Amino acid sequence: MRHKRTNLETELRANRPEPSRELVHRLEGRVREGRRSRAGSFRVAFAGALAAGVLAALASVGGLGYAATATGDAVDQAKQAVRAHGVLVVHKSPSRDQYGPKAKKKKKAKKKAKGRRFARPPFTG
Amino acid sequence: MKEARLLRVDPLRNPEPLIRRVYGYVAYRIGDGPDAEDITSETFERALRYKKSFDPQKGEPLAWLIGIARRLIEGRPATLELAIEVPDRADAGDLEDDTLRRLALTSAVSHLEPRDRDLIALRYGADLTARQIAEELDLRTNAVEVALHRALGKLRATIGEQGDPPVRKQGTAR
Repeated sequence: MRHKRTNLETELRANRPEPSRELVHRLEGRVREGRRSRAGSFRVAFAGALAAGVLAALASVGGLGYAATATGDAVDQAKQAVRAHGVLVVHKSPSRDQYGPKAKKKKKAKKKAKGRRFARPPFTG
Repeated sequence: MKEARLLRVDPLRNPEPLIRRVYGYVAYRIGDGPDAEDITSETFERALRYKKSFDPQKGEPLAWLIGIARRLIEGRPATLELAIEVPDRADAGDLEDDTLRRLALTSAVSHLEPRDRDLIALRYGADLTARQIAEELDLRTNAVEVALHRALGKLRATIGEQGDPPVRKQGTAR
């Protein structure tokens, strides 16, 4: 019984249907092609990533430069505006009267003489 | 980390033995011929397309490919089912013994129930171990061994009904 079963298993393995040589070659070629295209796509992706990195670096440097130039230009423009027209200071205006510095009031000197408050008025005749 | 590990493993690094075993499985399932070639080709196309999804921790590349082939067979139209016929014994003299033997066995396998045919195809077509079959079918190894034993018994009975195939020379067995 055991011998018979072993024979059947051997026969099943030995007579396993085999693919045609053409199919094997075609599929092997297809697998190789897929592997090559994958490697090629990796190379393309790497080159693309590298280019993107360089562009990003350049763009960031360019952006900073642009920002710095723009700030300098703005400062220059402000300086020119101040130089051309000057700063107008209005010395007499209602707002200055209200919020400006208060003028110092002259204090009247008080004569404080002890006892004179109750002094007798001068004799008038 | 996981992706890096997956990139290192190429399940189709050595395709030829895989092609032979996938074809063996498919041919035992649906019969030797153009349809088996189509299913095998489609299996490898899908394997190439979804190569990144292969996880070596889940199993061998062959088991992964057989899983793809199984799904393709189960999803194909029923009209592709082949009726494998053994040629008349009177014409057997025109065929070599090997061919006749192969046809007889394939025919006997094609008469099995789908589940038994699947088991035979997985074990002797794809050359998977009982453990690998158990993983593929989500069964226990012991259950697979028992089911295989029964399937072989049915196959032997079928061959007996058809008549013994011509004796094959033992020296040519692989």
